[in-house]
This record gives sequence, structure tokens and C-alpha cells, in this order.
Amino acid sequence: MEFNTKKKINLEGVSCPMNFVKTKAALATLAKGDLLEIILDEGDAIINVPRSLKEEGHTIIKVESLGETFKVIVCKG
Amino acid sequence: MKEKEFDLAALKKVGMIQQKQKEYFALRLRAVGGDYNSLQIKKIAEIADKYGRGELHLSTRQGIEIHNVHYSDLEKARMELETVEVYMGACGPRIRIIVACPGSVTCRWGIAETKSISKELDAKYFREDTPHKFKISVTGCPHNCAKATENDIGVMGAILPFWTQSSCTDCGLCVNICPTKAIEKKIDSNGKAEYLLLEDKCINCSICTAACPVNSWVAAEKGYNLFIGGTMGKIPRLGTLLKKVLNKEQLDTLIDKSIRYYQKNGRKKERFGHMIDRIGVEKVKGDLLNGI
Repeated sequence: MEFNTKKKINLEGVSCPMNFVKTKAALATLAKGDLLEIILDEGDAIINVPRSLKEEGHTIIKVESLGETFKVIVCKG
Repeated sequence: MKEKEFDLAALKKVGMIQQKQKEYFALRLRAVGGDYNSLQIKKIAEIADKYGRGELHLSTRQGIEIHNVHYSDLEKARMELETVEVYMGACGPRIRIIVACPGSVTCRWGIAETKSISKELDAKYFREDTPHKFKISVTGCPHNCAKATENDIGVMGAILPFWTQSSCTDCGLCVNICPTKAIEKKIDSNGKAEYLLLEDKCINCSICTAACPVNSWVAAEKGYNLFIGGTMGKIPRLGTLLKKVLNKEQLDTLIDKSIRYYQKNGRKKERFGHMIDRIGVEKVKGDLLNGI
């Protein structure tokens, strides 16, 4: 499925909590309802970042496995 | 004083352990879930200075030991520690210090309130005689930080996840983060995504319910997974899962039954887990779960 994302960031190799900090920084440049594409590592990153995004009011729209990383589409809340 | 004048077994029972330097003892203090207050820590430090050599040792069971206390000072040290409600621990063939993680009081993953459960277990069973040493651990969730599966009895906070189709946006996060691949996606007869929980694979950890962006996954039940017969030592053995998502009453009953079963059937110097293997896992599980 293709999404009309406003921005893409690759957080491969970026560990917690910096991956979340960078995601928040990217979201800060977007408007409510805009979509952001992030690439997250397997393991802690994919478990923690989506949960933290949920706690801050953003919504995960899609998660797609790319092998050892994931493509995650986030809607800014 | 000669060695034979000590009642070593009686001293060991209260955690006064003779060192290889025979006139000196290690004082093993009681703890529950590794919790002490600052007043207690100050007093313990004071006693270590006064009767020991200012040396403290943290045990693997989250307790504190004061080493190098001369036998003539044991009772004085004990009395002074009791003024701040620090009591002696246990050694030998009996129920030892209850260990616990901090649990739901402070941990974002915590499911069980480990502090109250470990206090209850301590009040009920601490220092009770058993065929061999007997260790109990209470861990707040299946991340298992307090190593419930390495203890004779392991209590683990647990949830039973439940999925609701109406709110689900089919993002696929749950399938990708479930640590045991216990969630399966299917397409139903209307062409809509359907997420199924494979209960046998599910470890009841709450990762799916915590992460689900739209709360389609919720905790339908909250309870405890109970493991029996875990041990490290000379012949390590991980605990056997006795039952999942028990309520508190079932948990209390099964813990009590397990301890009584071991007291009745365990041989001297035989750990609970090794007794289970000798009798047979299925037989023991059947005996314990009978009527639950």
C-alpha cells in the first residue's frame, strides 16, 4: 500500500531513546494529520517507539517488515 | 569457645552462617523483594562498623549480609537490628528470602503488584522447613526480570489479550512485535483483516495491548502465571509452567498445595524441580491442578 507521506526518516542503527527523539523532531515539522515514514530496527526499537508515540497521541497507520527493520507509517496527532 | 559448642543448625536457621574463619559468622538479613528503607540501611551500616569490619555483601536473593561478626557479638547485633525492624534471614533446608522486581508500582511494563504479594508470601511461608532449600520469586510481568523461572515457585504477572475487530485499522504492528509470534493475521469471509491469538504460544506479556494504536487489543483478564520447580545450582532446571492467568485465590491455593506437596514427597536434599522430574511432570501437574 502506498501512503502520501510528508517526510521519511531512516532510524536504522539508532538506539533508544534517540530514535524516539528523532521521530518527535520529525513530527514537529509536520501538521496534525500528516503522515511520517520511519524505518525502525527490530527488537527494542519496534517495541518501544510505537508505544511511546501512542502515549503522545500519535497513531501508527501501518507496519511492514523489511527483514531486520520495519517501515512504520505514523499519523501526527 | 570450641566449635562443638555452637548449635550451627539453629544458627543457620536464622541466617547466622559460620564462616571458614570458625569464630566468625555472616549475618544474613531478611528482606522482601529487596526493599529496605534508609533508616534500616543506616542501622545495618552502623552494625557492620560496630560488630563487623564495615563490610556488607549483597546476596543473590536481594538481601544484605554483614560478614565477619564474632560469635560473641551475634545476639547483640541481632537485637540492635531489630530496633529498626530488620530481622534475621534464613539458610539451610527451608523457605528463603522472597525476591521480587519493583512491579506495577513503578514499572511501565508491570502487571502484578509484586510488593504486596511478596509480603504476603513472606508472612505466610518464610523460614518454613522444606526437604531442601526453597526459593520463591515474584515478577511483575513476563519480561521476567525477577527470574520467576529460576525459582522453586515463580509468580509472574500476566494478562490475557483479546482482540476486537470494530476498532482495528489493520496496521499490522501487533503481528510484528509479538515476541512469540502468537498473533496470526487472517482475512475473513468479508475480506476484512482478522487477528487471531494463539493462546498456546502467548506468554501473556501485554506488549500487544500496550502498543496497539487504537486499543483493539485489550487485556480481557489480568492474573498470574505460576511456574514450579525452577532452580539454578548444581543441576539447573527452568520452572515448569503450572497454569496461566490464574486469579489471586487460585494462585494462593496452588502455591500452598505446591509447598505441601513438596514437604510430603520431596526427599532430603532434593530440590522441588528434581522431585517433579522423579515423580513425573504430568503426574505432579495433575495432582496439583486437581480441583482447580
